[in-house]
Amino acid sequence: MEELARFALDYAQGLGVEYAESRFQSDMREVVVLKNGTTEVSSVDERRGISVRVLVNRSMGFASTNTLTKASIKAATNRAFKLARAASKGFGKGVTLGKGDLGKGRVELKPRIQSSNIGLESRVNALKQADEQAEAAASKAQVKIPARILTLDTWDTEKFVMTSDGAAVMTAMPRAALHVFLTAFHPQKGPVQRSFNLGGTGGWEVVEGWDLPRLFWDEAHALSKILLEAKEAPKGEMGLVLGPEVVGIVSHESSGHPGEADRILGREAAQAGETYLKADSLGLRVGSHLVNVVDDPTIKGSFGYYAYDEEGVKARKRVLIKEGAINEYLQNRETAYVFGVESNGASRAVAYNREPIVRMANTFLEPGEYGEEELFEGIKEGVYIKNFMEWNIDDRRFNQRYVGLEAYRIEKGELTDVVKNPILEVTTVGLWSAIEAVGKDVGFQAAYCGKGDPMQAIPVWTGGPHTRLRKVRLGGA
Amino acid sequence: MRKEEVPVYVVNLALKLGATDASANIIEDDRTMIRFSNNEITISKASKEVLLGLFVMIEKHRATTTVPLSSLPNIKKAAKNLVRAAQTTPPADVYAPLPSGPFQYDPKLLGASKLPLSPDKLTGYVRDAVDGALEEGAEKVAGTLVATKTRSTLATSGQVSVTQEKSGLEMSIRAFTSDIASGHSVSVSSGQEEFSPSQAGREAGRIAKAASEPEQGRPGKFTALLGPLVFADLVSQVGRLSSAFQVLVGRSFLADKLGSEVSCAKFTLVDDPTDEGSYGARAFDDEGVPTRRNAIIDRGVLKTYLHNSATAKRFGVETTANAGLIMPHPWNLTVVAGDRSFGQLLAEIDEGIYVTNDWYLRYQNYRTGDFSTIPRDGMFLIRNGEIKTSIRELRISDNMLRIFRSITGLSDSRQWVKWWEVAVPTLTPYAVVEDMIFTKSGM
Repeated sequence: MEELARFALDYAQGLGVEYAESRFQSDMREVVVLKNGTTEVSSVDERRGISVRVLVNRSMGFASTNTLTKASIKAATNRAFKLARAASKGFGKGVTLGKGDLGKGRVELKPRIQSSNIGLESRVNALKQADEQAEAAASKAQVKIPARILTLDTWDTEKFVMTSDGAAVMTAMPRAALHVFLTAFHPQKGPVQRSFNLGGTGGWEVVEGWDLPRLFWDEAHALSKILLEAKEAPKGEMGLVLGPEVVGIVSHESSGHPGEADRILGREAAQAGETYLKADSLGLRVGSHLVNVVDDPTIKGSFGYYAYDEEGVKARKRVLIKEGAINEYLQNRETAYVFGVESNGASRAVAYNREPIVRMANTFLEPGEYGEEELFEGIKEGVYIKNFMEWNIDDRRFNQRYVGLEAYRIEKGELTDVVKNPILEVTTVGLWSAIEAVGKDVGFQAAYCGKGDPMQAIPVWTGGPHTRLRKVRLGGA
Repeated sequence: MRKEEVPVYVVNLALKLGATDASANIIEDDRTMIRFSNNEITISKASKEVLLGLFVMIEKHRATTTVPLSSLPNIKKAAKNLVRAAQTTPPADVYAPLPSGPFQYDPKLLGASKLPLSPDKLTGYVRDAVDGALEEGAEKVAGTLVATKTRSTLATSGQVSVTQEKSGLEMSIRAFTSDIASGHSVSVSSGQEEFSPSQAGREAGRIAKAASEPEQGRPGKFTALLGPLVFADLVSQVGRLSSAFQVLVGRSFLADKLGSEVSCAKFTLVDDPTDEGSYGARAFDDEGVPTRRNAIIDRGVLKTYLHNSATAKRFGVETTANAGLIMPHPWNLTVVAGDRSFGQLLAEIDEGIYVTNDWYLRYQNYRTGDFSTIPRDGMFLIRNGEIKTSIRELRISDNMLRIFRSITGLSDSRQWVKWWEVAVPTLTPYAVVEDMIFTKSGM
């Protein structure tokens, strides 16, 4: 792959471009789907190809091919060149790439247990054991789980990135992920649903570490409890504790996305939208002094782990919100030049045929000082939202809604009734500003972040500790 | 071996290796995308890809693979590995043999329009769209132009050997008059004759201009006038979740509703891939079955789920020619036009909200249809049959079935919609919905 990437780079440079970048990427993937306890299908997919990005008269062109011949690579490079040149005729944006800590070398994450050595029978058994535990837990509570779909996905990604200004990085990463969708049902209570992802970087040891039977028992037990016991959620102003899963999605949606520099510059305006933040919003107070949100691609084993980004820039931790104030944006080399900073290694692409754009990796609220019990002790009357089903946020990343799934009433510091679908509909600044206590425990969840055109669903973790908010309005306005 | 001969060769090889059923599909995809923002082109992209998709069954044991089309030894290896994978895959709950032909395909649906793909021509489309929006008063414009050519060569063990070509042009454009005032429009076409990027730009610009200086919206229940973009998003949810697969896995509010009233009687939704020349037209599905016009909802009543042969067997019906080998899906959704002009629909609303677009639709419960989505771009108060103030920052927090049952009017004009938020080409009118629930942030 190195030879072809080098050929693409040399050929592009021969066309007289200002900048060239080539990327070979292959993804070898094995998937098995268990639907309502029965194996639906197994699949093995191979996607591999090469892309080039060129700057011509400061206009950016990109092209990819999965025909790995020199003729095909030449044709793709010519196409990127001609498209960029056509756009540059009075209509191009005027792209200049900023600096970054460009890498050279090889980063290979070796799994303890190679997933490709795990047979289909073991994969199916892992899912079946989990599925049976879910059914058993529900049955014990006299609830049914009539619809269950589990999709187990393991894949190996190899990349080689070269740039005309000196980056040359090869990376090899295995990943594993499980998507789960469960519907619990009771004739008198109706349906309740739960969707979640597990994911990490590594081999089969990642799957083993999930302890699926226990997890599925717990999930089905919780769904049964919600169905049978949930009372109407209280409305009005009250104290609120959010679990790590909710804090994670808040960190992702209300700190990570608004802090993407390409959004700030309007590059995603027609798709994923813009942001309430501006280029000069650094230092703007958006939350209480307890709020520290980071995005860190360097966490080993995380779903969003990477060592170098798609521009060959070394990955590093980014502190997005520091003590309640906007501190740093996620940058690639194109946005970094506009902002007058160095790239912080946030350029990612999900496949060989996708352009690298500014992305998150693992975004989370950093831990504080409080034990979980201390957080609840501080609330006379309120609600604890452990996880959620429905959520969304406007395309300026300012008005969001989270509807709790597993949630409890808090009375005098104690969890009491299960409550049904508490609704938190709140502004970004309103939410971050209401945080008055942050727990010590950090939990992470896997997710696929959607952005770009064509869409690029990229692996990330979201996370944070249990977190207490004061006097927030539940139930919407 | 010529590329066109590969699918039949691989199917026969898989059968020899022990498969009871097999299909092979070579997909050649060539696309150009130009993205623009702040009135300038930000990047121009092209991709060319040739993939071979294989699917085999050994009765109930099913396996699939997708690999780059490469040398014959590699293809043979992929086929052998796949049959071996099927042998070790535990059985699915039903065995439905791949449908057996020979089939007759409508030749008018097999071909594609010729598209101009020269960089200067495509850049010109972008310029037309941007200029159109700016001339209507927009200050900045962003969007995407996509030009696609695809060729699919399918063979199955059911005596299918057929090639389909398709082409498409898409313009999605969003115009801004300020950070909080915008309008969005699209133009979607299978050929250049009906492609109108300038008109899409002008429409986006007009909405953005009208949306200038929005006021905070007031939550509550309102009669809603839904523009084609937002209504297409809701309609495509109905289309997508009418897939029998989604019903089986609990992800559909249409479950257990066959034969029931799921919308008002004015509403008829058809999946019509036989509509020649339209964006989503096609001659056959992924099992090689000739496509057909399927009324999903006929005058308010849910008539069918969308099926491939496997889901059809589970439900004891015939395939609707909507395969997806694993998951059936709609091809080309069409809402039957109403009997009112846009002006008449508007005139009949005393107090309401006109929503032009939405994004980020998420379900609280797929089975019940409880969901929310966020209006974006122009949103306006309606008073006494006229569009009044521009408003902002409201959310639609409602239930799908309630919304479709509360439709009181549909326009006679319709628009094809496909963009980032609406994946299935959808032909939709304007719609009036009674008592739509709008909420807002509490702090």
